[in-house]
Amino acid sequence: MFFVQTDDDLNLIESFKQGDTSAFGEIVLRYQDKIYNLCRHMLGNTADAEDAAQDVFLKAYQALPKFQPEASLYTWLYRIATNTCIDYKKKPIFESLFGDSGEGERLVHDRATDAPSPEKLYQSKQIDKALQESLGKLSPKLRAIIILKEIEELSYEEIADALEISMGTVKSRIARAREELQRLMKKFREQNP
Amino acid sequence: MSCPKSKLISAYLDKEMGLGEKTALESHVQGCAQCEAALKDMQSMQAAFANAERHQAPYGFATRVTARTAALEKKRSPWSVPLFIRFAEAAALVIVITIGILAGTVMTNERSAVTTTNIASSLSLDLFDAAPPGSLGGAYLAMTEVKNEK
Repeated sequence: MFFVQTDDDLNLIESFKQGDTSAFGEIVLRYQDKIYNLCRHMLGNTADAEDAAQDVFLKAYQALPKFQPEASLYTWLYRIATNTCIDYKKKPIFESLFGDSGEGERLVHDRATDAPSPEKLYQSKQIDKALQESLGKLSPKLRAIIILKEIEELSYEEIADALEISMGTVKSRIARAREELQRLMKKFREQNP
Repeated sequence: MSCPKSKLISAYLDKEMGLGEKTALESHVQGCAQCEAALKDMQSMQAAFANAERHQAPYGFATRVTARTAALEKKRSPWSVPLFIRFAEAAALVIVITIGILAGTVMTNERSAVTTTNIASSLSLDLFDAAPPGSLGGAYLAMTEVKNEK
């Protein structure tokens, strides 16, 4: 498990509850990249991702006074983000999951270091494209769970906490999302040989 | 028809199964072409996910969020006052109004008493001279009064 409720989180929450609104600014700075990344992958474009991520923090700001310290701030924010993205206005999504990035957006992942051959690069791009298209066709709930697992790298336990579902449901839903993705990717490859 | 064991591949990929289950699945996959293909597909899908870009929040994101929360705070500020302060304010207002009403009633009572006296005296004939002062009638009445006193 790579995240836990830190003392810093607890201190920030306590300060905020006592009226120090700057503590909330610290929370935003701490989690903005993770929440934005989730929204970006859920919604597929930078504009909607920023709108949704801002909404997430606004909802968190309003709900934080009632936040129970027993819960993890991190998974609580993921819960708000997932629900916000699922409820987000329906738009044609996934212009780009792996390709072009928006203005001001910095990419963390650096794939140039592997220096793959042109053939391998082409194959990799085809897989990326198939995955991108297929992910966009998944239902929002399945998309959310597979992104939490594969992109955000959350454990089953953390996903169960974030989505407020049982471990068994997490396990079966991830398996279903993978099967569905596999089917969609196969279909995509057949249509785009 | 897909192999029923293929449903376990997902948990195997995520290392979310016990050692016994893991070993059993591994030996099954070696003899099942369908599960072997499914495992290969899922592994390449997992690799594609691993290569997916991770995005950072755009520049100024936190500032924009803070501006929105500040606007929200400003909008709801009349209601953001703690409950006990709102009660104290209401109580103070009731006290001021009550004092005002009581003070007003006392002053009105005093004033009405004075007014009644003034009205009674103004109705008395003593206020009026029998004849206009400085007139001939007035001089006559004055002489009569002096005479009567004697």
